[in-house]
Amino acid sequence: MAKQYDVLFRLLLLGDSGVGKTCLLCRFTDNEFHPSHISTIGVDFKMKTLEIDGIKVRIQIWDTAGQERYQTITKQYYRRAQGIFLVYDITSERSFQHIMKWASDVDEYAPDKVQKILVGNKSDEEQKRQVATAQGNKLAKAYGMDFFETSAFTNHNITESFTRLAELVLQANKKDLDVLRVSINDKLNLAALEEEEGVCDSSSDAQKTCWC
Amino acid sequence: MVPPFSLKECEARAGPGTGPHPRQPMRRKNLEFEPLSTTALILEDRPANLPAKSEEEAQRHRQEYNEMVAGAKRREMKEAQLLVHLICPTCRPFRQRNTRRVRELWWQGLPPSVRGKVWSLAIGNELNITPELYEIFLSRAKEKWRSFNETSSVSENEDCGASLADRESSLDLIKLDIFRTFPSLYIFQKGGPYHDLLHSVLGAYTCYRPDVGYVQGMSFIAAVLILNLEEADAFIAFANLLNKPCQMAFFRVDHDLMLKYFAAFEVFFEENLPKLFQHFQNNSLTPDFYLIDWIFTLYSKSLPLDVACRVWDLFCRDGEEALFRTGLGILRLYQDVLLQMDFIHSAQFLSRLPENTPAHTLFTCIANTQMLSNNRRWNQVKTDCTRVLLAY
Repeated sequence: MAKQYDVLFRLLLLGDSGVGKTCLLCRFTDNEFHPSHISTIGVDFKMKTLEIDGIKVRIQIWDTAGQERYQTITKQYYRRAQGIFLVYDITSERSFQHIMKWASDVDEYAPDKVQKILVGNKSDEEQKRQVATAQGNKLAKAYGMDFFETSAFTNHNITESFTRLAELVLQANKKDLDVLRVSINDKLNLAALEEEEGVCDSSSDAQKTCWC
Repeated sequence: MVPPFSLKECEARAGPGTGPHPRQPMRRKNLEFEPLSTTALILEDRPANLPAKSEEEAQRHRQEYNEMVAGAKRREMKEAQLLVHLICPTCRPFRQRNTRRVRELWWQGLPPSVRGKVWSLAIGNELNITPELYEIFLSRAKEKWRSFNETSSVSENEDCGASLADRESSLDLIKLDIFRTFPSLYIFQKGGPYHDLLHSVLGAYTCYRPDVGYVQGMSFIAAVLILNLEEADAFIAFANLLNKPCQMAFFRVDHDLMLKYFAAFEVFFEENLPKLFQHFQNNSLTPDFYLIDWIFTLYSKSLPLDVACRVWDLFCRDGEEALFRTGLGILRLYQDVLLQMDFIHSAQFLSRLPENTPAHTLFTCIANTQMLSNNRRWNQVKTDCTRVLLAY
């Protein structure tokens, strides 16, 4: 079976319930927006393939339930992520304050190498805004993260933020990437890389191109 | 020609009551049973290109037809009454009433007209909640909503750590989730006929059990009950249902207990579907990825609503074991597809099962699922799993 991508990694969407994680994701993967989306219980999945610097990047996005009660469950998934979106809603001060809690959980449970970006969603709802762009910027800076204000509704900054996090993850795994670059120039090695995503999942340590 | 009638068909005909069409906001006041099968399209006369029936023949056919309808009506009534009668609380104890005949009828799916009643009785009311008690908690909830609305602007700026769980368990989240409950039905959304009802039942529950509070997934359970029961009865069934050990374990997110359930599930999974079990193992697809959604919403989110209601019928008949057996039935039904899929595709597939998942094939798969492992039944396996987990 021909391989449809060169590398595979997992991104995780975190943030309070109702900030629009599922909507961001639907906009990104299907270019759709549903104002009344069914709530996420546990974890949901989507995937998309991007091309970055000539490399086909397959990203699995894990969309988690936002309610605090569920964090006992969702924390189990942090360690499997290479990139994390911390999402708040610019019309909810509370969701912004909770970013600190989310970030400290990520520090505790996610791998050290994990890449994070801060996302303030619902930027189209300017009249209801409770969190200034400057506040978002400041917090992102304090954490050393990139920052995007997005709108799943108007499709503002969606592709940009997802692509940015994917790039960061690629960069952070530069060493593995170089191995891949060599292999891309080498038809024989490339053939050797043609394995199923599933196999990749189960024998992650052995696969240099899959940082599971 | 009128086809023979069965409960199954009766349910299929009455499908829209629980199916993907909003029913008018009508409430079942009692258990009067109205057969739904008398409206079949009957060709009374022969087509014009054929010689007409003689008056005598036509008369005879009409009479035969009426007899068939009456017979079908009687049969439907009898079956429905049998179900209701046999589980009515003033009759014999439940176990004695749960005869083979009843269990068979029950398996085929409860007629929608008695479904709510049967669920209520099967779930029971161990908590002894009265409609009056519901009213009390509802008025408390309304009080809280009022004061919350008045003070929300102040509390918004307070600390975000300590009282987080409190606030969450309450009001915002319920509000947020109501319009995300069966959004395609358009009846729980703002302005929809069941919006306020769902709000009330969930609000009253958070006042009744502040230690549990509102947990996402509950809105689906309450919604399904509201579709089948009167408001107070829906609340009573809701509270008692959530009080069952399995539901308590999940809604309190008692992780150790949940692991115990998953482990027991895996024992039967391996027993029933060894090939798929191995495939999932190879792909690191553990049961939490799909069971959480299924158990938290009692399948009402991932299965078509009419199929989910039949799963609820089974759950009411057989208890928590039925939930895990259903899960295995789903895996069996889609085994061939799943064997071709990797981790992410399987996980996606299982959280959103095909909309045309047919009830009868699913139930055949459930029937073919043996809940027996080394002569141990579900409860025994669960207990043994605890020992294993504790040993770690």
